[in-house]
Amino acid sequence: MSEDGREMTPVIECREVTKAYGGGRAGRKASVRALDNISWQVGGGTIVGLVGPNGAGKTTLLSLIAGLLFPTQGTIHVCGHPARSLDARRSLGYVPESPAFLSCYSARAVLKHHAALHGLSREAIAGETERVLSQLRLEEYADRAVGGFSQGMRQRLALAVALLDNPRLLLLDEPSNGLDPIGVIELRRILNEVRQSGATVIISSHRLGELERLTSDYVFLHRGRIVQFGRDERVEQTGHLRVELLPGSPHVREDVLAPCSLVEQSDTRLVIAVNGIEDVPGVVSSLVGAGALVTGVALEMQDIEETFVRLCRERAS
Amino acid sequence: MKAYAMISETFLRKSSFRLVHLGWLLAYPLIFLMPSLPETWQWGGLMFAWSGCLLPIVLSAGIFGDDIASGRIRLLATEPIHLSELYIYRFLGLSLQAAAHLLAVAALILLLHGLTGRGSLDRFASWILASWLIFNTWAALSTSVSVVVSRDHNSMTLVLATIIVFFPLYMLLLFFQDSMVTQVYHAIVRYGCPPVDILAGLGLGKYSLAEGGANVAHSLALTVLYGAAGIVLLKNREFKYAAD
Repeated sequence: MSEDGREMTPVIECREVTKAYGGGRAGRKASVRALDNISWQVGGGTIVGLVGPNGAGKTTLLSLIAGLLFPTQGTIHVCGHPARSLDARRSLGYVPESPAFLSCYSARAVLKHHAALHGLSREAIAGETERVLSQLRLEEYADRAVGGFSQGMRQRLALAVALLDNPRLLLLDEPSNGLDPIGVIELRRILNEVRQSGATVIISSHRLGELERLTSDYVFLHRGRIVQFGRDERVEQTGHLRVELLPGSPHVREDVLAPCSLVEQSDTRLVIAVNGIEDVPGVVSSLVGAGALVTGVALEMQDIEETFVRLCRERAS
Repeated sequence: MKAYAMISETFLRKSSFRLVHLGWLLAYPLIFLMPSLPETWQWGGLMFAWSGCLLPIVLSAGIFGDDIASGRIRLLATEPIHLSELYIYRFLGLSLQAAAHLLAVAALILLLHGLTGRGSLDRFASWILASWLIFNTWAALSTSVSVVVSRDHNSMTLVLATIIVFFPLYMLLLFFQDSMVTQVYHAIVRYGCPPVDILAGLGLGKYSLAEGGANVAHSLALTVLYGAAGIVLLKNREFKYAAD
């Protein structure tokens, strides 16, 4: 274990993974590289958000880790086992974007069926089924046919299936699709419980605000490449300092603010890009030294959504 | 429990299967009631054609294709179960359904024959065996086709393929019986496709005990071959996101 309590053995280890679709047998059709030479490691006990625009390769990456696709190049290990191996699949739970079940089965029957596929005994199947029904608060719907379930209910049931037998790795592809606000809050509660149990959660989601409240790390994917990975220092540290000035305050030159930069200036307001909260006293002191009549300051840290947009712009340019 | 879950799923996956079994059984008393039934009518032959050859096409419809089309396969394929096990248990589910169905058919025929005395029960036990063997061969072939064909199109694919394969053979045998092409084509169909005529011969008692044993072995070997091909296809298949 490391100092912060995370396991040292990577739960996911991707080495130089490339995934190309199409191309045809004779290579007549151009192949599309959904993932391009990705190397990535994830330790235990974290919730990692996969962020990227449509077609960035998020679902492909999750599918490769889950063993549903074969990498064109490179290797993937889950908990030290090659992806798609039985040991790897024993270690993971997977929630697809649009989960499908046999419509004539009840939720309880679905869970018992999947618990049986884990090779559990009859008693363990019953115990695990009731545990996840209770954890996902699905008891009320346990004996209803899945065919009548809403998208949100299917999503909850899929999460219940994925949590059977306490996997070390949980892969969630757009898990909040179809969930109402209460469902999203429930999801957050469950995932935090899962993390506290030491498991690793990988979430792909378009709802960036939701990820921000859940994840401890991000992976930004763009056109099949990892643009940024790890605890996002820039997300945590960069921001805008809004400075309110008295009318008639003298004009502020940008060089006074170095190394920070001026984003916006009016008679009564300045917006300054700072690299963190520690820059604030220096900036305020410089402004006062330059004769600015400061009446108030407010620091607005950059959120994941802004970072995502910035990274996409940077990549596009 | 794993085997039970998968085997029972092959019957429970569509609520219509209960009606299919009942409908198939209901056909027998209806035929018993036909006024123009010949005295030499073979009940075993009917069971072979109706329950042995046609029933597996219906029961195996979409056995993997439905899961692939709906995306459910993505949940199954991430569970800690070998894909070969998945295939084998599903095939066993079909085979056990066939065994139970054929036993019910046999009991029904014996009862109706006892009541009416119509038709013939010659070599009935051989017909039951032949029916179960041909069911298994068709079921394995259909299950393997279902690995690569989406939804329940595997059944229609098999029906069309059978017409495409057997119709030219019928024409060749009719008009060019002595041609080398006909003989080669006939041999390929006879030994490579589900052995309908060979097992029908077994039911009719055309073969000696040794020949009958060889025919049973041939049928089982074909079932294993079709199954092995399906397992290889399943293991090498990617399960992409898009569900249709």
